[in-house]
Order: sequence, then C-alpha cells, then structure tokens
Amino acid sequence: MDPEKILSSSDLLAKIETVCKRRFSAENDQNECYVYVIDSLKADNFKRLRSFKGKSSLNTYLYALINSLVIDFRRKQYGRRRIPAGVARLGKWAETVYRFVCWQKFTFDDAYDFLRIDGLYAGSYIEFIKETEPIRKAPCRENPAFQSIDETRESALENINDAGANPLELMIQKLDREKRIKAIKVIQETTAALSEDDQLLVRLVYGSDQSVRVAAKVIGLPASTAGKRLKSLLTKFRENLLAVGIREP
Amino acid sequence: MGKWMNKAINPSIVPESLDHIHIEDLARLAEGAVDAVERRHLIGHLNRCQRCYQTLQETLKDVSAETTPKPGPVPWWRTKMIYALAVSIVLALLIGGPFAIKHWTQRPPVILASLDLDQALKNILLEDDALKWEKKERVNRLLTALQQRGLAVKDLNLVLLSKPYYQKKSLFGPKEVLQIRIENKVAYLEVKEMDN
Repeated sequence: MDPEKILSSSDLLAKIETVCKRRFSAENDQNECYVYVIDSLKADNFKRLRSFKGKSSLNTYLYALINSLVIDFRRKQYGRRRIPAGVARLGKWAETVYRFVCWQKFTFDDAYDFLRIDGLYAGSYIEFIKETEPIRKAPCRENPAFQSIDETRESALENINDAGANPLELMIQKLDREKRIKAIKVIQETTAALSEDDQLLVRLVYGSDQSVRVAAKVIGLPASTAGKRLKSLLTKFRENLLAVGIREP
Repeated sequence: MGKWMNKAINPSIVPESLDHIHIEDLARLAEGAVDAVERRHLIGHLNRCQRCYQTLQETLKDVSAETTPKPGPVPWWRTKMIYALAVSIVLALLIGGPFAIKHWTQRPPVILASLDLDQALKNILLEDDALKWEKKERVNRLLTALQQRGLAVKDLNLVLLSKPYYQKKSLFGPKEVLQIRIENKVAYLEVKEMDN
C-alpha cells in the first residue's frame, strides 16, 4: 500500500470532501475541514494511513479515519471558540445555553428543554426567558439569527422534520414541554437498563437513524432477529412511559 | 436524525473514555467482521464513549450511502414528463376525439329539393337577371318562400342561379320545377321544364 498514492487519489479526496460538506454547512468551515484532514493524513509520514493492516476493507477504514479526524477538527474548532465573558459570568447553565443556541444552532426553547433534561436548570420557562436576556445580547459570529426570539426558525424545523419513521421521536414531538422532559428521562433510564447489545441497537436505530440491517450487522444479529428485538424494546419503552402516565396524544 | 432521541440516548451522559477504539477495529465492527468476545468489548466501549460512537455512526452512514445504488440518468423515454405528455395526448384524444371525428367526417348537411315553380317563386326569380344574388332582401325572400314550402333551411348567405329565368309566354307551356341544392348556406338554383 502506497499512502502517498492513496492520498492523491481522487477517490479519497472525494470522500474527504463529502464528509466535510455533510458535517459543516458554512463553506469556509468545509474548506478548513478538508485541509485539516489532508494535513492530518500527511502528518508523521502518513502514519495514520500506514496503520492500516488490511483487517477491514480499505474503503471502510478510510471513512472511519476521515470521520475520526473530522470529529477532532470540530472539537478543535469549538476549543478555539470563546464564550463571551458576560455569558460565562452567569454560570454553567448559561454557557450551555450559549453552546446550544450559538454554536449548535438550536433554539432557546430547545436549550431550555435540554437543560431541564440534564438537570442544569430548575426554573420555570418564564424565568428562563428572563434570565437568558443577557445571553441573547451576547455576540455570536457562528449564528447570525442568535438574538432572534423566533423559535421556529429553519434549523429547528429541520430537526423536527428529520423524525422520519422513528416512533419514539414522533411520540416525543407530540407531547407538551413538561411531559416531553419527563418522557426523555424515562427513555434515558430505560436505555441505561438494557443489555449492552440492546443499548447500542436502540442508539443506532432510534438515536442515529441507521437502518435495522446496518445496526444488526454491527450487533452481530440477522436483520430479522434485530427487527423483532426492536419491537419488543419499543414495547418496553411504551410500558415504562405508560407507568409514569405518558401516552401518545 | 431526531433531536430528542439523539439527546436522550446519545452516549454522552457518562464521562468519555480516553482509550479510544482503534480505527481499523471500528471499521471491522462496521463491517460485522469481529468475533463475539471482541464485539462485546467494543459494544461496551461504544455505549460509553461519545467520540467512538460518533465515528462509528458517521462511518456507517457514509458506507451505506456509498453502497446504496444511486439512481442513474433516466433515459428520456422513461422520464415522468414523457409519461405525462402521453397521458395528456390520450386524454385529449378521448375527450376531443369524437368531436374532431364528427367535425372532419360529417359534412354539413346538403338539402336537395325540387319544388313546383309557383308564381311566388317565379316573382322572386324574375326580380332581375342576376345569376349571383347579392341583395340580402332578395335572398331573404327566397329563404322565407322555401321555409314556407317545408324546407328545413335556417339561413342563406348566397344564391347562385344556373341561368337567367324568363317568364314563359304560353299558358300551357311545360311544367316548371325549381331544383334546389343548399350547402354551406349557399343555394344553387336551376329551373327545369318537366314533360307533362
């Protein structure tokens, strides 16, 4: 295997371009990502490419390698970013809100729900709106719509529309705020109590929208068996939700 | 992916491991090429390490997208537009066809008649010796006379006479008939003498 040849191949360059484009919406970020991945592959005399031992296919290896480097790039990018002092002064909850809304482009409404789920904020929604006023005034280069109070902007709608055929996501969307937060906690607890295989199966199919066939291959099950297992897992989720009084509206 | 489920079950709740899965092992797991013991170890790690989980799930997406057959260029005769056009033509033929056939195949009705040339008709013919009647009043007078004699004529635009008509002097002359052919609102007239 000649790493130089691989790195100069149009196939690898197309792979890097595809992954960077999928992970970053801004053209500038896509270009920086592309350069970062190529530089990282060249580093230490193509060490990362030379590590390939041929135990998997080269194609899958390259995708895994590129994705790993893109995650590094994203983390470095976030690491370079600074939370405005005015936000940081408000505490960890405010920093988290800023990360969610400014960097990850969620709405303030989403941020409130996420904080409640993670137990980072205990106040009411009205209090949250009042207390996030200084955050809304903070500068945010990454998200020009940051200061907008329009909670139904494009990114939020994209997330909602992406529910697809995920029955748990569809159910959560239909709930009101308090029930939604409660339901997510039940789903978290139920998932944590599952076997390792079932946890990963649920994560891949319902958390990452992988197909049952793909998830089954990772778990080491035939697709039909994985499908049946998912059905019984869904029943378990429904039972646990019903036990706390949550049913699909 | 759904934001709520992603938030709910992403393995980000526990502190992240520092000892990540080797890239080639992740690739093997994505391909299902690991034994049971190794798989158990890897899955245990993935449920606790957001970074490795993210690398795996992004890799799975990329590999799936690459192996899923992409729709190639569709030949023009298989495009939806062609089908739509074909359906439109068929519908147009079905709806408009009978009318078109009727229009093209059914010639306007031709009226053929033969009337005894009575005095009233003679008077109209004798008004002048023009073979082509262009005076509307005269045409209308003929139309009325024909209608009174039972011909189903609705309208006449023009009357063409085959030859000028002159009054016969003899009281017992041959019987005269007016042969009429009406087509496209044009009346063709010819006076013929009949043997008694």
